[in-house]
Amino acid sequence: MITVQHLTRRFGPRLAVDDVSFHLERGEVVGFLGPNGAGKTTTMRVLTGFLPPSAGTVEVGGHDVLRDSLAVRERIGYLPESVPLYREHRVQEMLVFQGRLRGLARAEAKRRAGLVLERVGLSERARSLIGRLSKGQRQRVGLAVALLPDPEVLVLDEPTSGLDPLQRIEVRRLIQELARERTVLLSSHILPEIEAVCPRVIILQRGRLAADGTQTELLARLGGGNFVRLELAAGPDGATPDAAALALVRARIAALPDVTSVEARGGEGDFAAFEVRGQGALAEGLGRLAQREGWAVRELSTQRPTLEGLFARIALELEPARPDPAQPEGSLEGAA
Amino acid sequence: MKGFGAIYRRELAGLFLAPLAWVLFFLVLLYQAYFFLLVLDTKGGEVNGSLAFVLGGGTPFWLLTLFLPPLLTMRMISEESRSGLLEFLLTAPVADAAVVSGKALAAATFLALVWASAFLFGALTALLGAPPDWGLVFAAWLGASLVSALFSALGLVSSALFSTPLLAAFMAILVNIALFALPFLARSWRGTGGAVLARALEYTDVLGHYQGSFLSGALDSAHCAFFLAWTAAALFLAVRVVESRRWLG
Ligand SMILES: Nc1ncnc2c1ncn2[C@@H]1O[C@H](COP(=O)(O)OP(=O)(O)OP(=O)(O)O)[C@@H](O)[C@H]1O
Ligand SMILES: [Mg+2]
Repeated sequence: MITVQHLTRRFGPRLAVDDVSFHLERGEVVGFLGPNGAGKTTTMRVLTGFLPPSAGTVEVGGHDVLRDSLAVRERIGYLPESVPLYREHRVQEMLVFQGRLRGLARAEAKRRAGLVLERVGLSERARSLIGRLSKGQRQRVGLAVALLPDPEVLVLDEPTSGLDPLQRIEVRRLIQELARERTVLLSSHILPEIEAVCPRVIILQRGRLAADGTQTELLARLGGGNFVRLELAAGPDGATPDAAALALVRARIAALPDVTSVEARGGEGDFAAFEVRGQGALAEGLGRLAQREGWAVRELSTQRPTLEGLFARIALELEPARPDPAQPEGSLEGAA
Repeated sequence: MKGFGAIYRRELAGLFLAPLAWVLFFLVLLYQAYFFLLVLDTKGGEVNGSLAFVLGGGTPFWLLTLFLPPLLTMRMISEESRSGLLEFLLTAPVADAAVVSGKALAAATFLALVWASAFLFGALTALLGAPPDWGLVFAAWLGASLVSALFSALGLVSSALFSTPLLAAFMAILVNIALFALPFLARSWRGTGGAVLARALEYTDVLGHYQGSFLSGALDSAHCAFFLAWTAAALFLAVRVVESRRWLG
């Protein structure tokens, strides 16, 4: 449905999007992540025909975004980051205007306006002035505007920013519902939300594609997947563990056959914590070791890496972003 | 043009929803009524001449026409670009030309309504027993509206070029003044050898063409075409500027 090939977008000397390629199948729901200034909004603006690409091609539903811009725009419902709305108009008027722009008859536009307002839970504010709405309410009007033409593709730039937790859940549910028949590209800084809604994520970093794949694929490639957290009480007297003792414990853990890495995660006064990575039954091996050594174990748990962790590693450039068109789908570029 | 009607209606509604437009509307109404009565008085009750005066025959009209269109159009692109509304319009499945011309026509319509106050003045004098020559009033009104359409289109070019409404209005007013003053320059150069330049400037003669035709009550389609062609050229320029904004970001 959406094919982006070697998309580059410059603003003067600044490279906002740098050789990004990805493809969205019809019906896919993809989370678009990346730190501030990574190029998410810019990419979306190119997709929706607002900004022309500096290089590369973008196709939506088989139509080129430069040559066949109107056909592309007809297929897309877009919620821009700034949630543009005519504040001097009423909610209903804004929605009818959107319908009229898309060539709907007035009656049909009104009917659709009623439908989408119900979907975003704002039916009772149809006659309110948009300027008098709260930020979250305006955000939902923006979503209703994007949904009004019943588009095949939804491009939503931070659709839940400014929403209260309940509304966030509502919007999340709405997006999941919409996703059944539509292709959705949505950006967000709220990672648990992306985790819940989007099976696949694309992560940008400094304008480059840093990761693209299903969450499970990406997380599996991240630092060898799971790790075990081991937390030890420092000693019977509750004294702060000294560096020598810590190093000793660490060496013992590292000596286990399956362990590939041990990272001290610090301790607060009376305990020491370690993150242990490796293969096989790590937790069991660590448990036996602790028993043998007589360590007082406070916690021994298998941790799954989160999107948050992946995001942090990319944002902190622990995972160097390197665009490589030959990369297969589901790659964590640079780490693979 | 798809979307043109929707944008035109939205822009017109937007103008009337802003308090500024109403303030302008009533101030101009008072201003026009004042000069109408003043001239009516000095001309000893000559209705047609007085109506023509407030629709282009006199300097007060031109003062308004140089300043009002820029004030109406200054925000239409520059401010919407800031607020993101331009992003909304330019990602809708409508041509840039529909967006630009819808906005220009809305501003021109607003001004045409302002100039229609002359009909009101005419009706009042008719009630008092001195009916104007309606054909003449209509021709003068049409001329006033056509000039306003041209200046609105130029105002939009300026609004697309400059990032703040105030700067856009200022530059548009300068352009309007230049356009207004060029024919006078042309006339003064005619004798001094700059014949080619003078002829070229002749084509920019908004005022001359205007006064030559509409104020005499004759609806000359060539003169209508003159304004429409200039307006179309300005709109085309505005569309190109909007387009280049997309490239620059
Ligand atoms: N109109 C513009 N003119 C110049 N530079 C721009 C423009 N728009 C974006 N940029 C630059 O392009 C880069 C990417 O910006 P973009 O808005 O796409 O980031 P983003 O991923 O959406 O960030 P955020 O999470 O903060 O929304 C930034 O460095 C920004 O400064
Ligand atoms: Mg953004």
